[in-house]
Amino acid sequence: MELKMIKLTKQFGNFTAVDHMNLTMTNGVYGLLGVNGAGKTTLMRMICTLLQPTSGKILCNGKDITKMGADYRKLLGYLPQDFGFYPEFTVKDYLLYIAALKGIRPVVAKKRVKELISKVGLSKAANKKMKKLSGGMKRRAGIAQAMLNDPKILILDEPTAGLDPNERIRFRNLISELSEDRLVLLSTHIVSDVEYIANEIWLMKDGRLLHQGTSDELIHSMTENVWKCYANKSDVPTLMKRYKISNIKSEPHGVELRIISKEKPFPDAVMEEANLEDVFLYYFGEKAGADDAVI
Amino acid sequence: MYFYTILVKRQVLMMLLFEVKKVLSKPLNKAALLILAAVLLIGSFLTIRDVRYIDADGNSSTGISAARHLQEDKNQYKGYLTEDVLKQVIQANAAVNASSESQSDDIQENNKAAANEQAFADIREMINLAFGELDNYDYYRIDSVSEDEVGSLYEQRIAGLKNYLSRDDVTNTFSEDEKQWLINKYESLDTPLYYEYADGWKALMDSQYLPTLMMITVLIIGFLVSGIFSDEFAWKADSIFFSSKLGRGKAILSKMGAGFAITTVLYWSVVLLFGFIVLAVLGFGGGNCAVQTGVSNWNSIYNITYLQDYLISTFGGYIGSLFIVTLAMLVSAKTHSTVFAITIPFIITCIPPFVGRLEAFARIMTLFPDQLLSINKNLEDFSLYHIGGNIFGSVSVIIPLYLILFCLVFPILFIVYRRTQIK
Repeated sequence: MELKMIKLTKQFGNFTAVDHMNLTMTNGVYGLLGVNGAGKTTLMRMICTLLQPTSGKILCNGKDITKMGADYRKLLGYLPQDFGFYPEFTVKDYLLYIAALKGIRPVVAKKRVKELISKVGLSKAANKKMKKLSGGMKRRAGIAQAMLNDPKILILDEPTAGLDPNERIRFRNLISELSEDRLVLLSTHIVSDVEYIANEIWLMKDGRLLHQGTSDELIHSMTENVWKCYANKSDVPTLMKRYKISNIKSEPHGVELRIISKEKPFPDAVMEEANLEDVFLYYFGEKAGADDAVI
Repeated sequence: MYFYTILVKRQVLMMLLFEVKKVLSKPLNKAALLILAAVLLIGSFLTIRDVRYIDADGNSSTGISAARHLQEDKNQYKGYLTEDVLKQVIQANAAVNASSESQSDDIQENNKAAANEQAFADIREMINLAFGELDNYDYYRIDSVSEDEVGSLYEQRIAGLKNYLSRDDVTNTFSEDEKQWLINKYESLDTPLYYEYADGWKALMDSQYLPTLMMITVLIIGFLVSGIFSDEFAWKADSIFFSSKLGRGKAILSKMGAGFAITTVLYWSVVLLFGFIVLAVLGFGGGNCAVQTGVSNWNSIYNITYLQDYLISTFGGYIGSLFIVTLAMLVSAKTHSTVFAITIPFIITCIPPFVGRLEAFARIMTLFPDQLLSINKNLEDFSLYHIGGNIFGSVSVIIPLYLILFCLVFPILFIVYRRTQIK
C-alpha cells in the first residue's frame, strides 16, 4: 500500500491550509505533529476524500483517489477529531450501521462488530446508547468503527484528545496493536502519543512539512542543546523571554528549568538528553504548549 | 451477478431502516408523531360530529345511530334525480313549508319541520343552486320554483353558467375559448344525477378537515425528515459518513429512500385512517354519487364522483407532500441546517393562502403546491390554463406539474449531498 501526495494544496479563500505537500507513505505508523492550525486536519480530510484539493493530487498505489471513489474509500478507516455519532443508537446498532455504510455484508458485519466490541473493551456497553458512554468509551467505539472494514489505510485525527492519562495510554496501546500490516496516519499535538508508536514522525507547520524522520532522527536534527538548571521563581518571566523553556518544575527553593539553548544558560546548568517534546518546542517555538503539548 | 444485486439491495434496505430508526428515535420526533395521532383523532371526531340527525321531536344527535337514521331518511330519494323525483321534492318542500311546525315561532317546532325536510335537504339545495345565481346563494329560492319548471334543473345549471360568463364584471375574465370550455364541461355532466345518502363522503370531502389534516401531516412529516441530511452535520457524524465506501452513493439513496418511505407511510396512514374512521361511522354509501350532488360542488367543472374526488384529492395531496418534503430535504442537504429545512413546509403551506388574497397574486397562487393539499376544496375553481393549445383546469395542471417537479428535485437532492465537502 502506497499513498503519495503530489504538490497537495488546499486554500480556503486567501488562507493556505496545506501548501504544496509532497509525501509518500507506505505501511507503518506515521505521526503527524503540529500545533493547532498547522493544517493536519485539512490534510487528513483530503486523504479521506472529505475535501477536494485546490491543486495537486493524492495517489493510492498510483491511482488518483478522487477517480477511485468508492474503491478507494473501501480501503479507508477514519476516526475524525470531532468524532460524532448517533446519540439514540446503541453501540451495536451504531457499528452495524457504519458497517452497512462501509458495504460490509450483514452476516460478516455482525461477526466483525462482535469481535471489535470485544477488542475495544465495550462488550458490557454493547447495548448502551452512544450518548450514555463516557468520553473514553466513545473514542473506543470510534476506533472500532474505523476498524470495521479492516482498513488498509487508517487515519486517526487527534484520537486521544480529551482523554484522561489512563485512557490515553490504553488507547495508544490499542492503536499500536491495530497498526500491523496497514498504513496508519496519526495526527496529534500531544507528543507522547506518537513518540512510542510512530515509525516516522512528520512535523507540520503553516501547511508545510517542516521535518520528517524517526524520533531519534528528529532529536538529532536539533542544532541546540537541552539544559537542566535551577533559578528563582521571580526570574522565570525574564528567562522565558530569552530561552525556549520546555519544562518548569517547582522546587522548595526555586524552580527546576529545562532550557533549549545553543549556549550554556547558567554556569551550573547540566546538559540533558533531548526528547521529542524538546524537538516540538524547538521547532514550534512559543506556539508549542499553547494547549496541552506538555503532559 | 444476481446474488450481487440481491446483496446490494439488502444493504441499501438495511441502511434505509437505520435511517428510519435515526428519525424515529429522536425524542422530539416521537412527540411529533403523538401530536399527529392526536390531530387525526380530533379531526375524525370533529368531522363525524358535523353530521347531525334531527328526530321527530326536533332533537338533534350525532354519531353512528344518527348517521343510520339520516341514511334511512335520505335514501327515500335514492336513485336518479329525474323530473318526477324533483317534482316530489317541490311537493314535499311545500308541505313542510305549510306545516304548523315550520310556521311556528318556537325553535323546537321549527326543528321538527327541519326533521321532515332532512330527507330531501340535499336535493333542495341543488334546486336552490340551479335556479339561483351562480355566485349568489338563496336558501329560499326553491319556494318560488314550480313543479313545471323544476324539471329543467340541469338546463338551469348550464344557463346559470352562461349568464354568469356574460356578466359585465366577468366577461373579460375568460376568452371565448375558455367560456366554451367551461360550458362544455357543464354540458358533459352525466344527467340525471344519481343520488343516495352520501353524508359520510360529503363530511369527508366537502369540509375543511381533510385539507387541514393533510397540511398538518405535511408539516409534521417535514419536521421528521428535515434532519435526515443535516443531522449528520449537527451530530458531527458527517466525516465518517462521507469517508465510508457507500457514503457518497448508496448511503445517500438510502437517506432519500427513508424520506420517501416516511412520507409515504405516514401520509397514507393518516389519510386512509381518517377516511376509514369517518366512513365507518357515517357510512360508506354514496361514493358513486357525482360531487355536484353536494352543496359545495354544484358549480364544479370536474365531473367526478365522491370516490374519484377522494382518490384525486388524496393522490394530489400525496404528490404535494412528496414535493414539499423533498424540497425540505434539499434545503437540509444544501444548508446543513435542520431548523431552516423545517421552515420550508411552513413557508409553502402557510404563507400562500395569505398572499393569495392579494389580487395581484391570486392567479399564480392557484399553482402553488399548497393547492395540492386542498384539491377537494378547489373543485369550483374556474382558474384555467393553456398548455399546448389545450385548456385545463388548475387541478389537471398542478398534479402532473408537481409530479414532474418532484421527479426533478429528487435527483438534485442526490447530487447536492454527494458533492458535500467537510471543511
